[in-house]
Amino acid sequence: MDKVDFISRRENVSLAAVMARKGVTAADIGGALAFEVPKEPAYRSGSGLGLVGTGPGTWLALSETLDNEWPSALEAALGSLASVSDQSSGYAMYRLSGANARELLQRGATIDLDPLAFTAGSAATTVISHIGVAFWQLDDTPAYDLVVFRSMRESLEHWFESVAASL
Amino acid sequence: MSRLSTGGLIDRTRPLKFTFDGKQYSGFEGDTLAAALLANEVRLVARSFKYHRPRGILTAGTEEPNALVTLREGARAEPNSKATAVPLYDGLVASSQNRWPSLGFDLLALNQLASPIFVAGFYYKTFMRPAALWEKLYEPLIRRAAGLGALSGLPDPDSYDRKHAFCDLLVIGAGPSGLAAALTAGRSGLRVILADDDMAMGGHLLKERSEIAGAAGADWAAGVVEELASYPNVTLLPRTGVFGVYDGHEYGAVERVSDHLPEPLPGQPRQRFWKIVARHALLASGAIERPLIFPGNDRPGVMMASAVSAYLNRFAVAPGKKAAIFTSCDTGWQTALDLQAAGIGVAAVVDTRAQMPALADRLDLSDCVVALQGAIVDIKGSKSVKGATIRDGSGKETSVVCDLVAMSGGWNPAIGLGSNFGNRPVWSEELNAFLLDKAPPGFSPVGSAAGRMSLTSALGDGIRAATEVVQQLGKSPAEMAIADVAETGGTSENMLWVPSGIEGKAFVDFQNDVTASDIKLAASEGFVSIEHLKRYTTMGMATDQGKLSQLNGHGLLAEETKKTIAEAGTIMSRPPYTPIALGVIAGHHRGEHFRPVRHTASHDWAAENGAAFVDVGQWKRAQWFVQPGETEWRTSVDREVKATRGGVGICDVSTLGKIDVLGPDAATLLDRLYANMFSTLPVGRARYGLMLREDGFVMDDGTATRFAEDRYYVTTTTANAARVMQHIDFARQVIWPELDVQATSVTEQWATYSIAGPQSRAVLQALLPDIDLTNEAFKFMAAGEYRWRGTKIRLFRVSFSGELAYEISIGANRGRQLLEAIMEAGAPFGIVPYGTEALGVMRIEKGHPAGNEMNGQTTAGDLGMGRMLSTKKDFIGRAMAQRPGLTDPGRMSLVGLKPIDPAATLRAGAHLLAKGAEPKAANVQGRVTSAAFSPTLGYSIALALVTGGQERIGEEMLLNDIVRATDVPVEICDAVFVDPAGERLRG
Amino acid sequence: MRIPCPYCGDRDSQEFVYRGDASPVRPADPAEETEFFDYVYLRENPAGPIDELWYHAQGCRNWITLTRDTRDHAISAARLTSEGKSA
Repeated sequence: MDKVDFISRRENVSLAAVMARKGVTAADIGGALAFEVPKEPAYRSGSGLGLVGTGPGTWLALSETLDNEWPSALEAALGSLASVSDQSSGYAMYRLSGANARELLQRGATIDLDPLAFTAGSAATTVISHIGVAFWQLDDTPAYDLVVFRSMRESLEHWFESVAASL
Repeated sequence: MSRLSTGGLIDRTRPLKFTFDGKQYSGFEGDTLAAALLANEVRLVARSFKYHRPRGILTAGTEEPNALVTLREGARAEPNSKATAVPLYDGLVASSQNRWPSLGFDLLALNQLASPIFVAGFYYKTFMRPAALWEKLYEPLIRRAAGLGALSGLPDPDSYDRKHAFCDLLVIGAGPSGLAAALTAGRSGLRVILADDDMAMGGHLLKERSEIAGAAGADWAAGVVEELASYPNVTLLPRTGVFGVYDGHEYGAVERVSDHLPEPLPGQPRQRFWKIVARHALLASGAIERPLIFPGNDRPGVMMASAVSAYLNRFAVAPGKKAAIFTSCDTGWQTALDLQAAGIGVAAVVDTRAQMPALADRLDLSDCVVALQGAIVDIKGSKSVKGATIRDGSGKETSVVCDLVAMSGGWNPAIGLGSNFGNRPVWSEELNAFLLDKAPPGFSPVGSAAGRMSLTSALGDGIRAATEVVQQLGKSPAEMAIADVAETGGTSENMLWVPSGIEGKAFVDFQNDVTASDIKLAASEGFVSIEHLKRYTTMGMATDQGKLSQLNGHGLLAEETKKTIAEAGTIMSRPPYTPIALGVIAGHHRGEHFRPVRHTASHDWAAENGAAFVDVGQWKRAQWFVQPGETEWRTSVDREVKATRGGVGICDVSTLGKIDVLGPDAATLLDRLYANMFSTLPVGRARYGLMLREDGFVMDDGTATRFAEDRYYVTTTTANAARVMQHIDFARQVIWPELDVQATSVTEQWATYSIAGPQSRAVLQALLPDIDLTNEAFKFMAAGEYRWRGTKIRLFRVSFSGELAYEISIGANRGRQLLEAIMEAGAPFGIVPYGTEALGVMRIEKGHPAGNEMNGQTTAGDLGMGRMLSTKKDFIGRAMAQRPGLTDPGRMSLVGLKPIDPAATLRAGAHLLAKGAEPKAANVQGRVTSAAFSPTLGYSIALALVTGGQERIGEEMLLNDIVRATDVPVEICDAVFVDPAGERLRG
Repeated sequence: MRIPCPYCGDRDSQEFVYRGDASPVRPADPAEETEFFDYVYLRENPAGPIDELWYHAQGCRNWITLTRDTRDHAISAARLTSEGKSA
């Protein structure tokens, strides 16, 4: 991955799957976490947490504070509103930044990443080169964070490298 | 040289060298290979498919059936490249195909003399008897004699890329109507993609001497392209062929990124596959000129009239010095004008019609024979045209000397893509051509593809169609006006002319050597549907897919069968519209990257420690670990099994599926998913569970562990991980959405190691000194969450090998660290890593069914687990598992097998016969599902499914292996070979 | 082919796993064997619109009920199956 200057590995991010219990809404979760939690596929952050909508009533929670107790504080905050499952080791995470980042993702993902359709805060769980990924746009640079199941990271990195070579 | 001194869209300041059949030539930037060959007066470029007749260049586009060459050399050699569509580059190397020993002198042209046996369907008739000779003699002979170019057989050195695009409007073709449409939509702010097969955009504007708004058509096109390029909302894709229309407004296209270069620039793909989702698409693919059918119409020097004009106007090349024109429409007359404008003599104009068109007034007819209601009835010359015999309306024949014959039989709208969805084109009496009646959703033909043949109407149609799309999308269309259009050509009827009474070879399909008489023969033999005609005569097959031949062939068939062409109909096309390389479809997915690979957290550790890997789905799993001096895999596996059963071994089992099932109704859901009970499982305990499919057969097995009242951790087999996840989601979302239960895969989160063998407790205790692991404190099937060096771990006392065993899990980021720590703690106990093969041997020794036994056709009863089916609750598969056929005691069920002769080898797949029974299918009473050499027992053992199962323990049977031609007497025994009482795993 | 996921939006069909007819409803236990037989095996095969189940395996991992015309693949409705039948 050293060959690709606009993609970097992001280490030390704690991750967890947050799954709302029956009848619990995004607004309820947001109330407990004290920030606006998206009900659509989107990324929002607050209270030292990031939440990416990955499905109806499900989110990927991110925390950049390294904590051996993760995700117990999150579980405590959510109480009986949601089930929480630690995924800190489940994914490899990347930061992609710059105009090439959008072009590279568009070579892989079959969703529209044009600024008209996918903007800062937009998120998607999809497939790149037969590999399941989730990514979300952070700003208009554009910068994206992307997660992939850890077992497939070498395959995805190979794809990153071969596509980046043509940009 | 036949390069004209002026004109053309070539760059005369950039000469390019190229080689054809070893001889060096030169051309200019902007040439196609065909144009450059013609400029060098190379007329003979190919030999035909069946008869090896000399062939030249017929067209100036992708519909070319004749001028197929092998482009490049070595691994990059690409056979069947159309010289008419290959952009010339410096250093280009091309060679002719299907000739022996050389293009000029081809011995296989003798096939022509044998042409009576090469008629339509010849291979169905001629080479039938004796049948044995077909494979040995006839087929190799035919394959050598007939055919196209050959592949290099070398690995493709280039890479291929993929891109996904989304737009409001996809315009397919950048001719007049396509440019007008793209300009309208681009100016109106739509997201537009304009794709064209050609290296330059403009379509027929590049080939004709038209004028728009006071400028030459080609200049107007260049101006439009420049304007479009300045719009951020417009994407221009030259050298890009749209090859297919798919459901959901999807289009497939191939961009030839590097094919115009000697080889791709560093990092660049050769071609790029585009998957385009377009809310609307306009098919501005233009029209393809029809050939005329007459004897010798395939001779080098006979060309489509529009191609002659294209070579003159676009490439400044004179394809001949003296021309005869044979036409059934105005196009031929326009070509005559183009020829005269370039200073080339026109010896004759032959029109099938009775009247000269108005256009003729502009032609200098001195020294020119004009024959109305006429025909060319013969061509002089073999490797090049030397003259033509003309018959006029009165039947009088005249010969003219010429080296070029330009023919035009009218125009077919290029509607192939529009019939991809099964829309059969309909005949237009007005146009004498097939048009699209219905088109795929969001897709419409425009311009000459829609039958608007004149330049004025094509431009207007492009504007109209794009304006409608803009309005449909709720935007306001830009005001468009294109003034002062000076047409070329005429507006006369576009008649379909079907000749009668011709003698000699008059070709309908040039690429497949199908003649007019072949069509008649096929009709007389009863092949009267167009689809049968295609299969019988091969008309319309191969790389051009009948773009030129189809309509003439169908016209002749209609004539023969006394139908109108509207009744005879025409075929529909399917993708790809023009051939595409398989490599571009595969893209990045080739070789070791054919599919994604999954590595466990300790993959590198395993590789460093001698692991041989095996593919299990996408996973790479360590199969065994080779120690110094081990040369046979069995040596490694036997050692791993013995070391584990005699001491302790460790195996990476991280690939097992792992699922968190959480929430207040988690216990209820698991009771319904598993055949056995899980709501009664105490916290801190694991239980083996069996899942059935709803049809009552076994789906998967694994364990579920309860970590809290509302937290279960479920494991699945490696192979079924995704299927079980989907099954759980089906149960909780579709069948019982009222349950408050959540589930997510944690397969990737946890690295898991199985530590097995009598010393496993001691190893773990050394690793985790603070945990009480005594049998009393941590019983068989106990589980708990602990810490190791501050990090959460999960410990389970479960066993697959039948030994005292534990599974230990940790966040995969620290998986390798944990494994190394276990190896260190285990070193004093002689711990060995073992792979899937030893794991498999031990599970067979223990009689555990796995994928070979849980094969989708076995019930719980078949596998000796019938008692696990709870009678106290409903669960998936419960009702159907009770069916008589699934509970029949005569079903095959699981047993063990051991050989009577301990030295014999048992093999999976072999069949079981009762002693003395004849080896035939009706007598088969069972089969081996898994077999292994048991290092523990010292002989070969097997698991088998046998009729009557347990009832037959002690019976001797014959293991019959037809494939490997062995018969092994075996004794049926219990499936559990090692420690049947289970004392080891509970000790 | 594109499939409209009610949560994720339009997606490539390769992200989905197809199951089939959405109309069979699992019989409440206890039920006659014949009712289960119908549930497990019997399917209509209409030429026209049909409600069918798709699993967005590579997306939001939800089961989706699509109304698709078997004659031309036109999709006229899509909803999350867990939210029950639409009116």
